Amino acid sequence: MATTTAAITLTSDLLSDNISVSASSTLMKAGTTADGLDQIEYGYIDLPTGDEYDLLATTPTAGKASKLYLKNHSTDETLFISVTQNAQAIGKLYAGDWMFIPADFHDAAADIAITANGGTNQFCYAIFHEGTALATT
Amino acid sequence: MATTTATITLSSSDLLSDELALSTTATLTEAGNSTGVTAAIGLSRVTISDTSETTLFDASAYTDDKAHKIYIKNTSTTATQYLLIKVGGAELGRLYAGDFLFAPWSADTTSTDSDVTATPSASGMTIEYMAFID
Repeated sequence: MATTTAAITLTSDLLSDNISVSASSTLMKAGTTADGLDQIEYGYIDLPTGDEYDLLATTPTAGKASKLYLKNHSTDETLFISVTQNAQAIGKLYAGDWMFIPADFHDAAADIAITANGGTNQFCYAIFHEGTALATT
Repeated sequence: MATTTATITLSSSDLLSDELALSTTATLTEAGNSTGVTAAIGLSRVTISDTSETTLFDASAYTDDKAHKIYIKNTSTTATQYLLIKVGGAELGRLYAGDFLFAPWSADTTSTDSDVTATPSASGMTIEYMAFID
């Protein structure tokens, strides 16, 4: 089985006491500790302002443990990409920001859509998943 | 100015023919400038006694359209237990045992409030969560 590890560290001096939060997870298939996510889709995109990019052409099986990593590689702090799912706003990734989320892609309308704002944004993404069968809707 | 950073490392020696070794750090700033975020909520820890949907972040309590960031972790060690995460009622995905997420959150209230909720697959599951606020 493939073994892929995701580790995060959050640090801050916002408070009187320093924040230091760490977590690590091995990316497993849904509901098991015996088999890791074994497929990946990876890309780097130049997206002109106003354009929308749909992250998936195919849809990982619904109800699984797929993960999405996304980073805005732009360096201009005023540039950002808007991230939506099924027209629902999730958030904005400004230059240098990244995100790592579970991605269900439970039906064809649930793809993650990226829209560039303020100029051409460069972003990369990686989807770790266990299959690309379309869900029955 | 406070400095807040988020670092992720993704690694695998056997997913691809070539080794996967990705590491990146973001300094969390306000929307559209280089000023660091100025507030944090949590780290919080809550055990949900049943399997009802629970709101972790209420969009109406935050400023809309900013560069907030959220962190959620499923602390369960039982592989089949997951948290179904939704944003504004839209299903984002499942956090299985030990999984975490880190995401931007706009706290959008334009049409549907983009509240972030978690629905446990079993009773008695424990969630850790925090937010960095723009």
